[in-house]
Amino acid sequence: MKFTVERAILLKALAHVQSVVERRNTIPILANVLMEAKGGVLKLTATDMEIAVVEEVPGVQISREGRTTAPAATLYEIVRKLPDGAKVELDHAGGDAPLSLRAGRFNTSLSVLPVEDFPSMTEGKLPTKFNLPAGQLRDLIDRTRFAISTEETRYYLNGIYLHATESEGVKVLRAVATDGHRLARVEEPLPDGAAGMPGVIVPRKTINELRKLAEETQDEIEVRLSDTKVRFGIGPVSLTSKLIDGTFPEYERVIPRGNDKILKVHKKEFAEAVGRVAAISSERSKPVKLSLDRNLLVLSAASPEQGQAQEELDGEVVSYDNTPLEIGFQARYLNDITDQIIDTVQFEFADGSAPTVVRDAAKPEALYVLMPMRV
Amino acid sequence: MASPAPDPAPPAPPQRKIIHIDMDAFFASVEQRDDPALRGRPVAVGGSRERGVVAAASYEARKFGVHSAMPSVTARRKCPELVFVKPRFEVYKAVSLQIRAIFAEHTPLIEPLSLDEAYLDVTENLQGIASATEIAERIRAAIRATTGLTASAGVSYNKFLAKLASDHRKPNGIFVITPRMGPAFVEDLPVGKFHGVGPATTAKMQALGIHTGLDLRAQPMAFLQQHFGKAGPHYYWISRGIDERPVRANRERKSVGAENTFAADINSLAKAREALQPIIDKVWRHCESVGISGRTVTLKVKYADFSQVTRSRTGTAPVASRAELAAISDALLVPVFPVPRGIRLLGVTLSALDDGSRPPEPQLSLAV
Repeated sequence: MKFTVERAILLKALAHVQSVVERRNTIPILANVLMEAKGGVLKLTATDMEIAVVEEVPGVQISREGRTTAPAATLYEIVRKLPDGAKVELDHAGGDAPLSLRAGRFNTSLSVLPVEDFPSMTEGKLPTKFNLPAGQLRDLIDRTRFAISTEETRYYLNGIYLHATESEGVKVLRAVATDGHRLARVEEPLPDGAAGMPGVIVPRKTINELRKLAEETQDEIEVRLSDTKVRFGIGPVSLTSKLIDGTFPEYERVIPRGNDKILKVHKKEFAEAVGRVAAISSERSKPVKLSLDRNLLVLSAASPEQGQAQEELDGEVVSYDNTPLEIGFQARYLNDITDQIIDTVQFEFADGSAPTVVRDAAKPEALYVLMPMRV
Repeated sequence: MASPAPDPAPPAPPQRKIIHIDMDAFFASVEQRDDPALRGRPVAVGGSRERGVVAAASYEARKFGVHSAMPSVTARRKCPELVFVKPRFEVYKAVSLQIRAIFAEHTPLIEPLSLDEAYLDVTENLQGIASATEIAERIRAAIRATTGLTASAGVSYNKFLAKLASDHRKPNGIFVITPRMGPAFVEDLPVGKFHGVGPATTAKMQALGIHTGLDLRAQPMAFLQQHFGKAGPHYYWISRGIDERPVRANRERKSVGAENTFAADINSLAKAREALQPIIDKVWRHCESVGISGRTVTLKVKYADFSQVTRSRTGTAPVASRAELAAISDALLVPVFPVPRGIRLLGVTLSALDDGSRPPEPQLSLAV
């Protein structure tokens, strides 16, 4: 195998694929990237056995077809440190001969591992197929992923639950994530072809990789899935992942319906006040108390060692017309949600210890449920 | 070439007065105290189910060879009349607080080892009693009067010997090892009984021809350091009945852990799983006996070349059962395979401990 490619092009492709490689690896081949030069195309593949990313690299001059595997992280580091505009030549004589990389007066040789050892991820049939605008996919991810659980004993919460359903008579594609303290539910119009899809739980790492890849495109993203695998096509990159084999809980049960104490507050003033007040707290959970009265919201926090802090938000930015209420939340949980809200935050409370609904007043397609803290 | 430095002389004459108090068959005695129908009968506290383990056995049960840490299945085979009683840790904890209050009348230097066992340093004591033996007798009498339970006491000039002494006249006994008796007392002791000598070290010592305290004492410091590294000096001194570890009051436990070094390196997952079970048993038994658990489980793997990896996982609530501890340990173990080298040691540790005295988690949960 021998080819020449511009540094920037190779770097971008390597950045995509090396990202799935686990830094701590007990299986050496998984640290490598598979390079295949054939029919005028260079194909790069990396996998951690759960996720595989394949990228077809354009603009490669192949002078000898072939394939090999080399350490992904090292290769990426080297290419990253080459000067901009450099032409990179990769040359592998075959077998276990090292891979030689030349760029200008720099050259290196990297040890390789046999292509036969590189695990291939079989996809099986992926009967569901639909396209999703990249912007919608980013929205679904951004507004839910903060709520993904990291608790491995509840593995079925370690991802985003993606499924087709109806919302007030409209067919939607819905993304849900919860960690048991908060829940995020976001919808987009159901794309053609998604109607019969099974509900799937896409693992957190896959979501994070997908989000990085989706950053760079305005095009539609092709989604194909079965009940065990999913594949996302993002331009020249294809990301295939196993799905979490579990049952997502009946999340609708925990979304309260009759919360009638409505608070509307400007997002910017609210988020900043939460940040300031919480700064006093020495606890990791940084509890912030919200005390509500007619068109008045007082945020407060206290720490036995460091003292206390409070801030008043009044009718200028607050609208509330119900009985007085006190309720506490973790500052980070509040901010994770307000980060997703553009202008006005709408809280719907029942009482100080019941689940609270939070919405973006301007975006009814996103809904959050937040459990309070005892304060 | 300089001649090797002479082996150091023992430190200044020992002056401390240490008492080790150990309740007799604690959990089982509490159960017999509270349920007259159990008195005089062989009783085992613990789960009777298949994977259950005996947490404590009454003296009647011990006559049949039943002892703590024994699988319940084995215990029942040894003693078909054995009565299994479910542990009531709340009660044991309450009794434990009573006996600690009795200790506290004599000294603030109390180092509890579990709910039913503690070291006391009574060198200086609150009631100005000169004789440690008399203090130990008063404590035993007070425990009897307050709780209706018996305790054994060991009195000596360090922790190691005090603990040996309390075991010497069990149950309901007291024994004193004076500074003059100390060195002779440990001469006949098998090396496995020495503080800090586990099964792997015992095997290694026996391979070197060291079987008893006397054998151990015959080894020069340099030899022990060469073969046992950092632990060498400890063995050197302890074989002479010298143990300078202080009684550490209010010692807050940060973790509960156990580990085993294996006689032969382990290469397969199946073997490693099997080897992990007694370690998990030991950790969980200790958690139960002191009434705590932890949120973080750490698995330690040491390879034949002494390189070491640890893998840990933290949950939102303390581990609630042995089964949960086993499941988490297994989940940590599986990704370690295939191993680059044989495994020489496995260990499991629970940390982020919680004894249930902290207020409940203030963050409320969704019912998902």
